[in-house]
Amino acid sequence: MEAAAPQGFRQRLQQLPRGFIYLLMALVVVWQLLFPLPMPISPSATTKGVYDAINKVPPGKLIVISADWDASTEAETGPQMTAIMHACFRAKKPFALLTLSPPAGAKLANDRAVAVAEQYGAKYGVNWCNWGYKYGYENIVMSLAKNIPATLKSDFHGDPISALPMMTGVKDYRDLGLVIEVTGLANVTEIWLGFLRGPFGTPLAAGYTAVMAPGYYPFVDSHQMAGMLVGAKGAAEMEALVEHPGDATRIMNVQSWAHLLIIALIVVGNLGYLLARGGGRR
Amino acid sequence: MWRSLQIGLSQLFSPAHSTGELVAYVVGALLASVLVLALLHKGLGWRGKRRLTMAVTFTAGLFFALEYFYPVRMVAGRQRNFLTDYIQPANEVLAIIMAFTVGLGIYSLIQVHGRNVLRQRRGWCNSLAFFLSMVVMFGFTLADNYIKVSDPPPAVLPYPKASFEILFNGLFMPLQSATFSLLAFYIASAAYRAFRVRTLEAGLMMAAAFVVMLGQVPIGAWLTHSLPVTGYHGIPAFFRLENLGEWVMTWLNTPAQRGITFGVAIGALAMSLRIWLSLERGTFFSEQS
Repeated sequence: MEAAAPQGFRQRLQQLPRGFIYLLMALVVVWQLLFPLPMPISPSATTKGVYDAINKVPPGKLIVISADWDASTEAETGPQMTAIMHACFRAKKPFALLTLSPPAGAKLANDRAVAVAEQYGAKYGVNWCNWGYKYGYENIVMSLAKNIPATLKSDFHGDPISALPMMTGVKDYRDLGLVIEVTGLANVTEIWLGFLRGPFGTPLAAGYTAVMAPGYYPFVDSHQMAGMLVGAKGAAEMEALVEHPGDATRIMNVQSWAHLLIIALIVVGNLGYLLARGGGRR
Repeated sequence: MWRSLQIGLSQLFSPAHSTGELVAYVVGALLASVLVLALLHKGLGWRGKRRLTMAVTFTAGLFFALEYFYPVRMVAGRQRNFLTDYIQPANEVLAIIMAFTVGLGIYSLIQVHGRNVLRQRRGWCNSLAFFLSMVVMFGFTLADNYIKVSDPPPAVLPYPKASFEILFNGLFMPLQSATFSLLAFYIASAAYRAFRVRTLEAGLMMAAAFVVMLGQVPIGAWLTHSLPVTGYHGIPAFFRLENLGEWVMTWLNTPAQRGITFGVAIGALAMSLRIWLSLERGTFFSEQS
């Protein structure tokens, strides 16, 4: 009887009810959303790379922010987008939004741009514009390389692209100072690398969800990309750089404790496993 | 001759100036496409269809490859070769063909869900919800695109625009976000259940995972913030979790990812060549042979 009780305890350590784990996670998330414990955020080299690339864009050159995300990844890519826009407006660098996929990205990015532009008194068509959703993935990227106005034709609102003052003189990729790909989709960056960074040498930077970022470290390491924002962490670091703490900074508090909880759960599960294995050997 | 053909075509397909003209163009183009496809379907056997598809695939691949690799020269301030001018129309044709696949997808969905509803199969309510969502969202999205409002927008939006905002921002977005936010719960549960240190490799993987997980969040930096940033040749600073996490990503992850990328790229190149030259089995009606 004495041996049965510890064995049960060891088993229980390995078999916490799923509902209990969900409840713990929900409590941690709600606790940190309601009562955040602020922590210092220090920008990493990859984030500084994006920030520096924006500031280094020569006058007269345009920044293109490719908003290839939707609500499914907005918790990470949305704050990245907002922080990048803050950096552009602060540095007085005009930017254009473009969406290759999914279509909802054009509106989501537009809503964020409108909100940020208001804070800086920036004007549509002068300081920023939205090229809208363009269907065709690499075909669009390929066509833009040859002739930007002819490929785009109209903007997000359906108005002629040539009517926008900031588009005067923008012909092809040589008129771009930087392209920033913000995405939750794999393999979009490779298109930009192949048709923009390689042939034209135009700088490229990116913002990715944390889960896909590891695949793109080689491109930053080889300087094919100026830098990248890694998930909500990258967005929070960018928010720190532009001195505009927002959603990502709040998310990082939540994520900190959620990660700790996951680690604690893994440790508990392994403790039960090791105890049970030790007990079995005896 | 080529120039006059170009002029003739551009006159024939000049932009629509009115809604009626636009509708006529769209309907006419759809009818013409259906007619051409029906003629090809009836007129060609599987061998003919296969040869046609192979010819189109090879020509399209050759065109894009030549345009990309053929040397360019400066003409009127732009780098171009003899194919550059045709990239634009070629991509427009591709976009139209790709748009047809969307139509095909919708047709297939309507077929599957329509059958579910008509025969009242199990879960037919979900199929009905699909039809309702598609029709309502389609209608209000079109209305949102075509109803123009003043800039800045008025306090009260016209009914169709307001409805679109409610459907998109109030329903679609939260539903999509909520679906993906469930991942946090599943990952916590799955990591707890599946992550066991059964071998040395699993132990190493867990150690790396802990370092990266903590290095990615501010609490990791806070846990090791007492380690000095300078001094002792930077050794203590290296063990700060944010630095250790970055080291794992840069020095361990990068070479591994690079190796994978090379492998995938070579595989993709070989596969592309096989498709371009129609050597891949199981494509282009080959199963009918």
